[in-house]
Amino acid sequence: MSGEAVIEIENLTKRYGEFVALQSLSLTVERGRILGLIGPNGAGKTTTIKILVGLSRPTSGVARIAGADCTNDVRKIKRLVGYMPDKFGSYENMRVREYLDFFGAAFGIRRSARNKRIDEVLEITDSTYMQDRYVESLSHGMQQRVGIARTLLHDPEVLIFDEPANGLDPKARVEMRELLLRLAGMGKTLIVTSHILPELARICDRVAILSGGGLRAAGTLAEIMKTVTQARLLEIQLNSADQVDAAAAILGEFAGPGSEVVRSESERTVQVRTSRREDEWHELASKLIGAGVRFSQLREIQTDLEDAYLSVTEPSSKADAKRSVTHV
Amino acid sequence: MSDSVANPIIQRELVGLVTSRRALGVQIALAATFVGLVMLRWPTDARVGLSGARSFDVFRVFGYGLLTSLLLFVPAFPAASIVKERNKGTLALLFNSPLSPLAIYIGKFIGVFTFVSMLLILSLPAVAACYAMGGIGLWSEIGRLYLVLLAMLAQYVAVGLWISARTGSPDAAMRITYLTIVGLAAVTLIPNLFYQGQTGLIATLCDWVRCVSPIAAVMEILGHGSVGSQGLIGDGTIAYRFLLLSPILTLFFAATTISRLNYRIFDRSRSQGRITDDQSTSVKVARGMFYLVDPQRRKAGIGLINPVFVKEFRTRRFGRMHWILRLVSLCAVVSVLLAFVTTVQSEVWGARTIGGIMVLLQLLLVLLLVPSTSAGLIATERESGGWVLLQMTPLSSLRIVSGKLWSAIVTVGAVLLGTLPGYLVLIWINPDLEYEVRQVLISLGFAAILAVTVSAFVSSLFRRTAAATATAYGVLIAIFIGTLLVWLGRDAPFGFATVRAALIINPVAAAMAEMKVAGFEPYDLVPIAWWVSGGLSLACLVGLAVRIAQISRPS
Repeated sequence: MSGEAVIEIENLTKRYGEFVALQSLSLTVERGRILGLIGPNGAGKTTTIKILVGLSRPTSGVARIAGADCTNDVRKIKRLVGYMPDKFGSYENMRVREYLDFFGAAFGIRRSARNKRIDEVLEITDSTYMQDRYVESLSHGMQQRVGIARTLLHDPEVLIFDEPANGLDPKARVEMRELLLRLAGMGKTLIVTSHILPELARICDRVAILSGGGLRAAGTLAEIMKTVTQARLLEIQLNSADQVDAAAAILGEFAGPGSEVVRSESERTVQVRTSRREDEWHELASKLIGAGVRFSQLREIQTDLEDAYLSVTEPSSKADAKRSVTHV
Repeated sequence: MSDSVANPIIQRELVGLVTSRRALGVQIALAATFVGLVMLRWPTDARVGLSGARSFDVFRVFGYGLLTSLLLFVPAFPAASIVKERNKGTLALLFNSPLSPLAIYIGKFIGVFTFVSMLLILSLPAVAACYAMGGIGLWSEIGRLYLVLLAMLAQYVAVGLWISARTGSPDAAMRITYLTIVGLAAVTLIPNLFYQGQTGLIATLCDWVRCVSPIAAVMEILGHGSVGSQGLIGDGTIAYRFLLLSPILTLFFAATTISRLNYRIFDRSRSQGRITDDQSTSVKVARGMFYLVDPQRRKAGIGLINPVFVKEFRTRRFGRMHWILRLVSLCAVVSVLLAFVTTVQSEVWGARTIGGIMVLLQLLLVLLLVPSTSAGLIATERESGGWVLLQMTPLSSLRIVSGKLWSAIVTVGAVLLGTLPGYLVLIWINPDLEYEVRQVLISLGFAAILAVTVSAFVSSLFRRTAAATATAYGVLIAIFIGTLLVWLGRDAPFGFATVRAALIINPVAAAMAEMKVAGFEPYDLVPIAWWVSGGLSLACLVGLAVRIAQISRPS
């Protein structure tokens, strides 16, 4: 893969009156890479995408795709980008092949070349078997495949998919993931939004977490983990729920003032986030044993993308509430 | 009835309807219309007409206005009622509740009927003013009129729900309901035109079919005999026969709708996309004989022609190629049959009367066809998400819209051309009519273009096809039928100038005037009507262009 940036976003801001939908967003995506855009509703994902495909104008800042300005070179952008919105855009009484034929003709592809191209995109998306089905009668997963086939018709450099895995069953999600990786393997540059985080964790080279219109974290998955998890999460699995209070007190003392100790009597666990080094953990174990606290495990909980997402988009109390634990 | 009162659906339907912005708009529009109609003919001098003729003039205008308003607005309310719930998934929830299909139906029927009856109640102050002027019987005129209108409302609510339970989308339900109601109210009048004053089984049957129409009943109550009665005195029973037939039809539609309210309404498998090309030779041959254009054949790729134009023909719910061909064939057959009637009954009818009937049939075709093909041009794209996809292609907005407009114009044009054989026969019978026929065809061309451009402009104002379709039907009926209602009140209550001013915006009236149809002879509407309809069409096109620019602009 070359390191050339195909998508460049610089200080992109979008305001609707007083409301700031996007605040000084800067990002780059290199050729053949997959960028995952994550964020809760209203985070600015769709606004970013709409600006990139020329359906919205930024209040300030610049977005470029393969050198073409997304605001002023909209004609070029249409050739460079294949965009799949979250709504399929179905037509009644139209079969899959006719649907693709119509969009191929709309992109000015000559009839002979178009037929060949339709065969190709149907094959790439494993959709050949459904070419005679009516588009409105397809299942959601099938429609997503046809939607991707449509974006590929004019062989764009960049593919932008808004929530492609939304509403798919597990099998269809796996197939979608494979398809996206296949497209990246073909040299396409992809931007994919999703709120199904494990999907992005598995396929994206880079992830950008948006919240409230601002970029909270960006980089590879490892970089984001490093950024958002300065403190490590320790967990003790106790033998008895009676000792939760005693263990919580020792862990709070070990982690230092202001630390958050989270305990769960039902699971017989106590967690604490600490910045203390790994070689200091034996002190904790000694204190626990010394105080007569009986435990079966002392371990570090690995932070995944979901935790990283929650840690940058939600207050900690809300994130903890999702884990069904109580604060000490 | 106590069960109905406790029925939660009634409250939900009624409250839902009454609190909608659409209902508020309809109520305000109707109240203003009723007041306006009475004020229009309210006496301005201090003299009192002892004969009551003046107050009857006011009552006539009011009666026709009330009928037209209800025909315009009522179908929109029941049409989407069931199909919308089915598509949103709430109908399945109702089926899983202890409510029986009968209770669900009664809830919906009473909810919608109560609301549309409220529209009728809005007219009571206006009719009270007419009554206060004297000369109008409380039962013989007002009572019978309101009874007929109430029966009509019940029947059309039942028809709307019947269609709603059988269609796949709210806009299809809306379109088919309007078409059916135009059929029940207007087309049922036509057979009797050919047999009135005659005896025999067919003549009796046609006489009864006419009584299905509330228009005939209202005309009788308002002292106008019936459409095309040509001075024949009626037996005065049309309104009573309507009051007999209407509840029977209401019960029929209600019973068949209730029988549909069960799991079968959801029991549709996904189409597997069978294609004729993959069938056996015998099937291919059989389908080849049945279809001129087989909708299940694999279509060739789009050529150099505007792809949007082709797409419209392939995808729209009403007006796909195989249906258009059938409609064109049917039009050709009907127009030739009419010409045949002319040759057989030319002494009774005269070629001009037949010509007038043909013009009316073409008007009905335009009214039936155009909103179906044009009202969804933009609204459907926006509703389905297709507009964004089209914007992402290199096609310019001009090319997209022109492809859509041409698809509608070609469709309407093809259907109108299907009626040409009838005119040719008319010219063959009476060569003197050649000039008039040419003028009529030009007028009908203007009518078709006006109808398409108005519907397309209306389509650009809405995000939902159902709303756009209902509005387009309303506007077109107001232009083409509303102005003819003013003509019905010529001399009394409307004067020559008022009628002419109303007819000028209706190119179909210009066609009737050119054909010298009885009652239209005094009006010289060409070329002014052409200029007016051309100007209106142009204004709609400009409005459409502005709207397209607005919705295509990056946000």
